[in-house]
Amino acid sequence: MIKISPAELKTIAQYIQDISGIYLDQSKSYLFETRLSSIAEELGCSSYQELYNKAKKDPGKIIERQIIDAISTNETLFFRDNGPFELLKHKILPEIIDLRTPSSPRLKTNIKIWSAASSTGQELYSVAMTIRDLLGTQIDKFNFKLLGTDISDGAVKQASYGKYNKFEIERGLPRQTLQKHFTLFGGSWKVKDQLRGMVNFRKLNLMLPFTGLGKFDIILCRNVAIYFTLADRKKLFNKLADSLADDGFLIIGSTESLTGICPRFIPKRHLRAIFYQKKN
Amino acid sequence: MNNLTILVVDDDPVIRRLLEQRLIREQYEVLLAEDGHKGNDLLSTNHIDVVLTDLMMPGEIGGIEVLEFAKELERNIEVILITAHSSVDTAVEAMKKGASDYLQKPINFTELFLRLEKISTMRGLLRSAEDLRQAMDVTESTAAETIQNLEIIAGTLQDQVDSIENILTSDTMMIEDKISKSLNVILNWK
Ligand SMILES: C[S@@+](CC[C@H](N)C(=O)[O-])C[C@H]1O[C@@H](n2cnc3c(N)ncnc32)[C@H](O)[C@@H]1O
Repeated sequence: MIKISPAELKTIAQYIQDISGIYLDQSKSYLFETRLSSIAEELGCSSYQELYNKAKKDPGKIIERQIIDAISTNETLFFRDNGPFELLKHKILPEIIDLRTPSSPRLKTNIKIWSAASSTGQELYSVAMTIRDLLGTQIDKFNFKLLGTDISDGAVKQASYGKYNKFEIERGLPRQTLQKHFTLFGGSWKVKDQLRGMVNFRKLNLMLPFTGLGKFDIILCRNVAIYFTLADRKKLFNKLADSLADDGFLIIGSTESLTGICPRFIPKRHLRAIFYQKKN
Repeated sequence: MNNLTILVVDDDPVIRRLLEQRLIREQYEVLLAEDGHKGNDLLSTNHIDVVLTDLMMPGEIGGIEVLEFAKELERNIEVILITAHSSVDTAVEAMKKGASDYLQKPINFTELFLRLEKISTMRGLLRSAEDLRQAMDVTESTAAETIQNLEIIAGTLQDQVDSIENILTSDTMMIEDKISKSLNVILNWK
């Protein structure tokens, strides 16, 4: 493994923050080494400075993408923390459906949901499963648009493919749900077409402006802001407030807080979970 | 130390004996079944880590059926198929159904022990990862509860501050009224 020097640590940490917002503790040099060494070696670099120079000069930004994939923590699971999905099922979805159902029965109900750091897709598929399980055959009366975005190309790719190995599946998915929504596919499990057809995934860096996304009725932004600096968190949640319908709902990670970060949101409690709405 | 429990399903008594002896010598726990029926019975009544089953067996329950039954029972179970050279295609097909591996007859024991070793190491790693995860889950859910309670309290306090600010900056109220209304906000907050 190539060792990292203090000067390189500074350069690389700043570089990573610039391209992804991810703030890495410079005292944890092993973290940089374990995650970046193999990329450097593959590119024939003998130091991280060299890797940095190459990445900066790379017009296709392939190295930058590799670095982001290596640095980002994609840790996620189906129905993570459970609370938010109970919340969706019993409170948020019924409420938003009420609010959005048009008076003419001929019109479909449009609802837009965004998983703002969707990683390998488990979060958004869990939302889709919650919706299907809640609505059953009524689902045809609705037009759900479920979007998942992430900065990591690798994560977006896996999410789009919708295939999970048994370790990813075993965590959080009850057997019945598994059999209802997945098919066994060469030792792995693949999301069934009806579920896959409800969602879309694409690449998006939360540090950049959100153009062309429109307003969402529900936003999940969980376990990603924890990697950003306070200043970047403030900017992020401010932009999320702009992207959320005035009566929309925001869900953040179970150990995250918006206190002192975004006064435009007020926390509300339902059962054992918390969600946020915009102050009017 | 090998702490895996292995179920051997094979209709050939010679192979059963051989596997039993060799596996026991390597410190594995071994259960034996002479056909698919017996195999499935043992699967239902014992904790088994690895199934070593012949692919082709007389009777209606062959290796594939044992595989399906085992996986149905316990997703984590590892199934290794033993095949004749001619049935490699079926074995490959079985891999798609979740078999971990297949071995061709005659059984190469070095190869078999290597695979079992790998499974054993993998299980050990999984176990520690699982332990760590559970410890983390406990920490995380405790933290979540605290944070969410504080979040609601902070939200309530913010609301109070906002209403007091509204009262104090009002142009139409007397100062005495402002003070008593503000005090009311603080004292009577639900
Ligand atoms: C720990 S996962 C969270 C996944 C899911 N939301 C959950 O709670 O289980 C964090 C994800 O954030 C992504 N990420 C990190 N920085 C990002 C950025 N600037 N823009 C978009 N996604 C980012 C990572 O690639 C990673 O997939």
